[in-house]
Amino acid sequence: MPKSKPWDVTLAKSNSPTATPTSTVGTPPLPVFELHQVGQRFGSLTALSTLNLRIYPGERVALVGASGAGKSTLLKLLNGTLMPTEGNVWALGHCLQRLPARQLRRVQRQIGTVYQQLHLVNSLRVVHNVNAGQLGRWPFWKAAASLIYPLEVQTAAQALTQVGIPEKLYARTDQLSGGQQQRVALARVLVQDPAIILADEPISSLDPELSRGTMDLLRDLARDLGKTLVVSLHAVEFARSHCDRLIGLRHGRIVFDLPAAQISDQQLAALYQPRLA
Amino acid sequence: MQLATRYTKDHRLNPQLLWWVVILFAIALAIIPTGLFQADWVNPGGLPLLGRFFSASLHPELSLTFLQLTLNATIITLAFAVCGTALSVGLGLIGGILSAEICWTTLFPHQSWVRSLVMAIQAALSIPRAIHELIWGLFWVNLLGLDPLVGILAIAIPYGAIVAKVFSEILDETPRQALISLTSSGVAPAMAWLYSLIPQALPNLISYSFYRFECALRSAAVLGIIGAGGLGYEIFLSLQSLRYEQLWTFFYALIALNGIVDLTSALVRHRIGAPTRLTLNLAKAPVSPIDASITRSPSPPLDRGLLSLILVGIVLVPFCFWQVGADMSQLGSGQILVRLQDMGAQVFPIQLSRETLTPLFGLSLQTLAMSILAIAGAGIGGIFLSFLAARNFLAPGGLLHPVSHQPKQRATKLWAWGIAVLTRLGLLVCRAIPAPIWALVLLFILFPGILPGAIALGIHNLGILGRLLAEEVENLDPSPLRALNAQGIAAPLVCLYGVLPLCLARFLAYILYRWEVCLRETVVVGLVGAGGLGRLLTEQLSSFDYSGIMVSLSCFIGLTVAVDLISGLMRRSLR
Repeated sequence: MPKSKPWDVTLAKSNSPTATPTSTVGTPPLPVFELHQVGQRFGSLTALSTLNLRIYPGERVALVGASGAGKSTLLKLLNGTLMPTEGNVWALGHCLQRLPARQLRRVQRQIGTVYQQLHLVNSLRVVHNVNAGQLGRWPFWKAAASLIYPLEVQTAAQALTQVGIPEKLYARTDQLSGGQQQRVALARVLVQDPAIILADEPISSLDPELSRGTMDLLRDLARDLGKTLVVSLHAVEFARSHCDRLIGLRHGRIVFDLPAAQISDQQLAALYQPRLA
Repeated sequence: MQLATRYTKDHRLNPQLLWWVVILFAIALAIIPTGLFQADWVNPGGLPLLGRFFSASLHPELSLTFLQLTLNATIITLAFAVCGTALSVGLGLIGGILSAEICWTTLFPHQSWVRSLVMAIQAALSIPRAIHELIWGLFWVNLLGLDPLVGILAIAIPYGAIVAKVFSEILDETPRQALISLTSSGVAPAMAWLYSLIPQALPNLISYSFYRFECALRSAAVLGIIGAGGLGYEIFLSLQSLRYEQLWTFFYALIALNGIVDLTSALVRHRIGAPTRLTLNLAKAPVSPIDASITRSPSPPLDRGLLSLILVGIVLVPFCFWQVGADMSQLGSGQILVRLQDMGAQVFPIQLSRETLTPLFGLSLQTLAMSILAIAGAGIGGIFLSFLAARNFLAPGGLLHPVSHQPKQRATKLWAWGIAVLTRLGLLVCRAIPAPIWALVLLFILFPGILPGAIALGIHNLGILGRLLAEEVENLDPSPLRALNAQGIAAPLVCLYGVLPLCLARFLAYILYRWEVCLRETVVVGLVGAGGLGRLLTEQLSSFDYSGIMVSLSCFIGLTVAVDLISGLMRRSLR
């Protein structure tokens, strides 16, 4: 495991609306994410509308809400796979829409994402799928050579040990169980060593035992290595126990944005109620 | 009550039924230009010659010097196929990546002009694809003279375009999430491809390359006839000089070569657990996940197999280029450009008059009729033979008898194996012998015209279709058949209610694909005078009538595009 580094992306102060501190009490930390009046449409469908949001370093944020509330869309906006149709998204001090491809990639290297369907390459061995987390740092020749003779195996092995499946280093990914594949995806993010970890419903297809294990791992990573965690969840009990801030989404709008301790059961229940006619 | 009757009425006349009527009508119409009902078409005077031809199969020429000659010719044919395939896969890989939408969307995400660019590239690639390798061969002969390079380029250019199309389809249909997950974490496009799309698509890409190799071998034999050398050339010479004993030695060599290549290709594809040709072509057709897990054991890690494949390639490809002795420097010389300019100058003025266009229309219809008859024969025969050739059909425990309680299992097993092996051998003979050679053999007893051409094409395509359809039968999901069998339904009914419905849609789709190929291949039998546009084109090419070539080639490409469109329409509605 390489040690956690400070972001190698310099914060461009002039870009961010919060760059000039308005308060005189010390200097507040700069947000890692800042969304200003963000809206996202897919054709005639409005997935998100007028979103304003700041997420600060080291926070563990849970996005909760019913299916179709806009959680996945929000995560895609945060990691730059989707550009908003309205408003601006700043990540690590950069406005993502305005960045040229090369610089966008430099920002994206600091954002690791764990997907619901894992998105691993099944026909590759585990070691290559984990090493894929290093590609942001590797030159092309090294990446190509590693596919034939695996390189930096130590790093991959260490990450796999951390997630509890060191013995699967050379197994083929499609021969692993769903829970094990989930761990491979986590190991890849560990190797990528980003400042921010995004997770899109990481436990929706796992049994309760594995769900707890995965959430513990994500929480410990964020807490011990000082990473920011943004995770979308269906299971509100895990959101409350493992995160310190909950954002409730409903029909593409933020319904509440509160510390975990202040959320009432009624507020959570209201999230999942069908829309009144 | 009323509702129910209306319901059934509506569904009795479905578009599928309409297509069947169209198909039957088209076949009936296609028989007319053959003159089957008007004139004598059998030449009984040729029967003794045919007898001599077949009796020679029992005692081929086996003298040592002659065997040496045969071996050399065999190596040359193989070398042409290897060189052609290597070049076309290289070209196809570049073209396939460039014409894949996913390539441009990874390089320029969130851009709207990407789609139109991709469509333009794909359209440009469809022109070299529409022209048969034989025409390319004759074109290069005019340009370069009789050089081994002609044979290689004639295979590499149309095949490169075909490979590019299929590769781009494979790349575009590979799930994109793994790629997106890498690019979203800031990995550069080339590396992201290397770690997601390429390894995901690799089994399909390799599998298709091997199919191309099988096809290239058949093309190499045909190109031999126009002078590229090797077995095709020797066969043609022996046939012209009526030396049937020698002819059969060459036949056996060609059959053995085809058999070995097809077998190797099948083994490689099985080892990498790649899908059948049909699933490659019909990537959108549903593949049941069950059959994959039942029929295929988990394949070994790709990297070791891949490494040995690369090693074999590194040795074999340069050897073949050396063996063929192609002079690549010709391509770089300025002479080609001069000759091309010369050719271009002769194309114009293009003469479009009623006298030139009217025969073209008739010849187009002839070509179309020939392709329809050929594919109808090959399709019907192919479906029938594919079941006999499939290892899992007749055998106890196979598709027809999923749960077997027969006491004399061993005897039936042997019997079933015997039939399968014999059928496969028959199919191999059909596809190994080039279509123009079949046509020449048929001309012993048939009068020249489009009928021998259609039959020859039909026989050749039967060999190809039968094998591919058999592979499909072998990959069939046996569970619905087991369920039928468990109800105590007799084998013929299981066939009717289980096997046929399971296969037929896919079979038809493949036969329609093959129809497109058949149309292009009419050129090949045109070479020996079977008629249609192919005959006109080969005549024009050998008399250097470039203006005429331009017109008839455009006509042929138009016909190809029309047939591709019709076939695509039918495949969609018959699915």
